[in-house]
Amino acid sequence: MNTWLIHHTQALTLVLTRFKTNLFSHLFIGLTIAVSLALPMIAYLILSSFNGLVSAIKSDSHLSVFLSTEATPTMIDSIHNTLATREGIKQFQFVSKEDALKQLMADNNNQDVMLTLSENPLPDAFFIEPTTLDSATIQQLKDTLTKIDGIDHVQVDDAWLKRIGYLLEIGKKALFVLAMLLGFALFTVIGNTIRMQILTQQEEIEVSQLIGATHRFIRRPFLYAGAIYGTIGTLFAMLITSIVIGLFNSSIEALATEYQTDFSLHFPGIAVLLVTGLIAITIGLFSAYIAVSKSLFKSIN
Amino acid sequence: MIVLDNVTKRYPGSQEALSNVSFSIDQGEMVYVTGHSGAGKSTLLKLVAAIERPSNGTVLINNQNLSQLRESALPYIRRKFGLIFQDHKLLYDRNCYQNVALPLAINGITGADAAKRIRAALDKVGLLHKEKVMPITLSGGEQQRLAIARAVVSRPSILIADEPTGNLDKVYASDILNLFSAFQQVGVTVIIATHDALGAAGQYHKILHLDHGRLINQQVTTP
Repeated sequence: MNTWLIHHTQALTLVLTRFKTNLFSHLFIGLTIAVSLALPMIAYLILSSFNGLVSAIKSDSHLSVFLSTEATPTMIDSIHNTLATREGIKQFQFVSKEDALKQLMADNNNQDVMLTLSENPLPDAFFIEPTTLDSATIQQLKDTLTKIDGIDHVQVDDAWLKRIGYLLEIGKKALFVLAMLLGFALFTVIGNTIRMQILTQQEEIEVSQLIGATHRFIRRPFLYAGAIYGTIGTLFAMLITSIVIGLFNSSIEALATEYQTDFSLHFPGIAVLLVTGLIAITIGLFSAYIAVSKSLFKSIN
Repeated sequence: MIVLDNVTKRYPGSQEALSNVSFSIDQGEMVYVTGHSGAGKSTLLKLVAAIERPSNGTVLINNQNLSQLRESALPYIRRKFGLIFQDHKLLYDRNCYQNVALPLAINGITGADAAKRIRAALDKVGLLHKEKVMPITLSGGEQQRLAIARAVVSRPSILIADEPTGNLDKVYASDILNLFSAFQQVGVTVIIATHDALGAAGQYHKILHLDHGRLINQQVTTP
């Protein structure tokens, strides 16, 4: 075994032994770190769940083209061809007035009303999904379509989607600020914890330096401690987040069923685990490094 | 192997702790640094052990100039020395065996090889039967011997001791001095700072007498 590996094994063993002798206090520190990590994690999962919901709606039709009741099958065919060749349209779907009526009739609540009608009041319609969400382009598309013979009315139904989009943007910014603030809190918590450990080991550090320990040798166990705090914090945070989301999901799913959707909050996946772990370990290493560098080498030179 | 040339050490906000000190120490010598307290003995030892750097002048250790070495190179120089401190600087949160293990850990020596050397060092100072004992329960003389075991475990070629007999009664003190001369006899350079009368042990003595930071007397005695 080379010296480098020996030094790392030594440091890790030392840190793990220290953790074991003070298991409870270290677990509580881990929990504190976990809370700092769990809050942005939960906020992220809520946002990403809503984001998924919104993009699912977005992929539904964006423009509804209602034909005039006098539109002949030839006109419908010609409109069909126009839509098929025009740029900026991702896909479209034709719903005849008969189909539309059938869909309405399928819903029990509407049946009574429908039966009182003598004829089908519904127009034929195209539902278009444009390639872009850019409102100017969509407006242009709307203007072109309105001029076509046989088209009675074109409706752009993205106003409320836009609002949700803005809300999500605000949510993302709030998440960013929350993550930054809690990241700073994490930095302070780990840094202070390491500083406390350094104080209790001041003698050992001093003696080690006097008999030839390098700065790296002294720093190494504390860096491991910082990384371990990050890891424990991440694991606890995953646990807390899963419990919280599980708790809320039972109610959210019930609510969503009332709206005929199967919306629920996502559980944290492997990507969330890895990203959170990476960030937490980096913060742990960084704050430990600063704490050691600030607290060390006072006794000598 | 150790050469000090016109060395001055000044601490910030105080007068010179050492002024224009020059001497050299050869391999295998037994050197006493004497003088009243505050004469600069500890400062001299710190300069020799690469714990401090000189404000002026040159300190050569094995032909390496201390002032020209990078900060990061100093720990490796320090490992050539076995240091024994006036206040022992033992770690009281671990037993004797683990105290002696520290320098080896710093050198990256672990396992069976380390265990063999730790027991040999403890045996040499007569503490082998107390390896599991916590140092706080040892007597003053035993603590000093444990500190010596820790200093010699990595087999340094130079032993440096600051007032090793300062707090000990005469029997213990001569015990410790005999131990040092035993190391000197196998070729280890021994440098001892002391303010009281010198022990009789030893073959070849050099005495450096300091007064208010100046080297006023350098004498060599051969038996």
